Amino acid sequence: MTDSVAPPSIAVTPVEEPTPPNLSRRLFARFEGVFNEEVFFLILSIFIGIFSGLAVVCFRLAIDWTHLALLGPLPQAHSWRLVEVPSIVGLVVAVLVIYVFPGIRGSGVNQTKAALYIFNGVIPFRTAIGKFICSALAIGSGQSLGPEDPSLQIGAGIASALGRWLEISREKLRLMAPVGAAAGLAAAFNAPISAVLFVIEEVIGRWSAGILGSVVLAAVSSVVIVRWFLGSEPLFRIPVTTFKNPAELIAYAVLGIVGGIASVAFAKSIGFLRPRLKALPRWTQFFQPALAGLIVGLIGFLGAPQVMGAGYESMDQAMHGQFVWKFLAVLAVLKIIATTVSFVSGTPGGMFAPTLFIGAMLGGAVGDVERIFFPHLTGSTGTYVLVGMGVLFAGFLRAPMTSVFMVLEVSGNYEIIVPVMVANTFSYFVSRSLQAVPIFDLLTRQDGLILPSLEEEREETILHVEDAMQPPPEIILVAQDRVDANYGRIQDSPESVFLVRLHPAGWSTITREQLQRLYLEGKGERTLASVFPAQPTPSLYPDLSLDSALRYVNDYALVPVVNRADSSQLEGVASRGSVFKKYGSRSTIEVPMAE
Amino acid sequence: MSWTLPRYVPRSAPVVLLILTAAAAIAFAGVGHLVARYNANQQSRGRKLYEQGLTAAADGQYDKAIAAFRAALTCDPNSPQYQLSLARALRDSNDPRRLEEAESYLLALWQRTPQDGAVNLALARVAAHKGNIDDAIRYYHNTMYGVWSTNYDANRTKARIELIQFLMKQGARNKAESELLALASLLPPNPAAHLQVAELFAQNQDWAGALAQCREVLHTEPSSGAALACAGEAAYRMGNYALAQRYLQGAVSVNPQDKQSREMLDTSDLILRTNPFRSHISDAERNRRIAAAFAQAEKRLSECAQNNGADLKTLAPTTPLGALQVRWVAVKPDLARLRLAAETDLPDTIMDVVFQIEQQTATICGAPQGVDEALLLISQRREASSQ
Repeated sequence: MTDSVAPPSIAVTPVEEPTPPNLSRRLFARFEGVFNEEVFFLILSIFIGIFSGLAVVCFRLAIDWTHLALLGPLPQAHSWRLVEVPSIVGLVVAVLVIYVFPGIRGSGVNQTKAALYIFNGVIPFRTAIGKFICSALAIGSGQSLGPEDPSLQIGAGIASALGRWLEISREKLRLMAPVGAAAGLAAAFNAPISAVLFVIEEVIGRWSAGILGSVVLAAVSSVVIVRWFLGSEPLFRIPVTTFKNPAELIAYAVLGIVGGIASVAFAKSIGFLRPRLKALPRWTQFFQPALAGLIVGLIGFLGAPQVMGAGYESMDQAMHGQFVWKFLAVLAVLKIIATTVSFVSGTPGGMFAPTLFIGAMLGGAVGDVERIFFPHLTGSTGTYVLVGMGVLFAGFLRAPMTSVFMVLEVSGNYEIIVPVMVANTFSYFVSRSLQAVPIFDLLTRQDGLILPSLEEEREETILHVEDAMQPPPEIILVAQDRVDANYGRIQDSPESVFLVRLHPAGWSTITREQLQRLYLEGKGERTLASVFPAQPTPSLYPDLSLDSALRYVNDYALVPVVNRADSSQLEGVASRGSVFKKYGSRSTIEVPMAE
Repeated sequence: MSWTLPRYVPRSAPVVLLILTAAAAIAFAGVGHLVARYNANQQSRGRKLYEQGLTAAADGQYDKAIAAFRAALTCDPNSPQYQLSLARALRDSNDPRRLEEAESYLLALWQRTPQDGAVNLALARVAAHKGNIDDAIRYYHNTMYGVWSTNYDANRTKARIELIQFLMKQGARNKAESELLALASLLPPNPAAHLQVAELFAQNQDWAGALAQCREVLHTEPSSGAALACAGEAAYRMGNYALAQRYLQGAVSVNPQDKQSREMLDTSDLILRTNPFRSHISDAERNRRIAAAFAQAEKRLSECAQNNGADLKTLAPTTPLGALQVRWVAVKPDLARLRLAAETDLPDTIMDVVFQIEQQTATICGAPQGVDEALLLISQRREASSQ
């Protein structure tokens, strides 16, 4: 079924066109030997990390302070405060989102990606401020959302503002958003490697070596800042995790399958409800966050205050076997409901923490149930909780590499890498087979945008030269041979262009007419090299992408494809016709449809 | 809103970097100030919650204490004091699922300060709750040799005593004995401490060790009623009734209300008066005691049969009491031969029947009193010494 595509919610604020890069030139004019834009950009990345780290520290304080002020240090069930606070704050947030900070709905990941690919790297600073205030209010009041994605957007917003302030070139300005995003996410998660990988997998959407250095520098510097102010304590107290018997991988695979199904249920519920709520009359948007707050508050009131807010304390408790499996399963289901309503209501906030929460609870529940049936399993509840986190990350966010490194970075334990990889792989494939479009892509498509994604790239078949090349021609002329000998070779051939092997190395081409003319001019007894000024033809290698052949096939009738180890060994030839024929054999534009 | 560098700022990379550095420094200082204020507020709030938790824990309201300590930790997540208190409350709440969490907190603390006595003691208690003897011994030992801010010696002794009690509870008597010996060797010259250790020796059935500790007290306080009673009981349990009599007489004279010592003294007197195997008594006295014990055994057998609604004369020899009666009747003629010195095994043969009757009737008819109790104890002592 194809849902109606709702109007874009991503900030379609008038794009501030960066002023021409006059400053860029002047910046480096006097220090050309010391600074160039590349070096400056790397240094700037450190500052982006510092400023983003400072912003995230403030953001975390703001969430904590809001939580303490509104809900108290440890909310208990059956307190009406749990119902009142998120509802009332939901109304306030709705007013702010509609009147003051339009475009801050949702998590912020897609907005950052859109800034990179559509808005020339521009994220209005107002968006970052709005995200800060509204997310802190929403998460602090108990909405079931996390602080990581907003931190990512805040970091990207700061980076973008800094880039515009410095009037850097448009090319570099585009890259500022992902650099800031990595810094923001790394600071929020206290996990630089995961942040870098996530930004590559989800924000940039493709492997790009050019930006990697800046992203890493920004992520590391922001983590240093956060650890300076907030300490280096991990998000959780990691219990003793063990993996002794390889047969237990079956148990983790089961967890992966269950997690994959849960991921799909979570993603589909968001994908189903979000466009429908957005399609409701505008006045309802004032009440949607409040209604979401009411539902989440009621869940807390009725006995599960653990689902409110980011839920890191509860994950910590689950990791230490504080809950029985039935309660863990209930918490996972309730968190899916709570996060779905919070997110689809347009309340600003992230999905990272809820995803980890659901995975943690599900992992604990599945692990405990498995141990009931197979008491010899040695994995502790904490191990299953940790693996479960990665499972949901892989299945729901569809960031398989990030999911593995995230668990390793958060736990600091490499012993569980195999269970994590097995479970995540199962979860990822179950999720992919049941839901074609990853959640972030689904959200952007619902907003009417199509942005590149690494998953798309992974699935894309890349054409290589070898796919289009033809076998080596039967007749190959030799530049060191006499013209009449070469002419004799082509007499029975229907071809009009021939490859010429040059001495000592290289290739060229000659047409039938050119060779015939030389022969008729009486130059038959001389070598071809002496009478024909050879113009070497560029060579291709079979493994090169077919796109690289396009550069030559227009100018050269035949392009030799040679062996990388021995350039004199001809593997085949590429021509304009063969290349175009290959491109023509497959649909080049596939416009994905929203689910 | 313009987001570009003001026109009057010189355009060069070093200047821009200088401005960024200055801005970062100012922002750093600002955030530092903010974080410091926030932390101060949080610490104050955390302290209040922590005190609430301590009060609740002292009242045995562990759920309330746990909630308060958790809340305190949200204010100051790195506070070792809060973590330790939460771990203790989790451990003491008697919920096995909470032990894991308690251990996790404590292990995190231990990794930071492995020499901390309080942390090691808490970990030892968790191990003790889990019945993990090796871990408990390890952490209790760490506690004893760990760092304490105050009362190092007292805490060290308390930790060893706790370990001994745990080991005894687990039935690890040999390990407990080793710890007891170590404890005894390090005790300060403190009567109360010696008596406490004597009590531990007694609990571990090590009566010689207990007697030694009680004698330590008697060296400095010869008229200590508690020490006399303790030594008397130890000697009594060891079967040294003459020594027991001496100490118990002292204990009863110091504390006439000491009923237990009085009872043991009476029994000791009886044993000393009825034991035919006591050294330094004449043959005539020995024979008299054997005859009296033999008659008492018959009486006990008869009473036991009556209590069971049976008559000795009509009891079948296949029943336990009937079999005893048959043996008693069979040996009775031997009494007359006691006077013949050549019959060296005869006293043992007769007393074997007596002891058998006392032991079996104790099993069938319950613990005996008076002379029967004395005969039973003599029989047990004989058995123990012959093994």
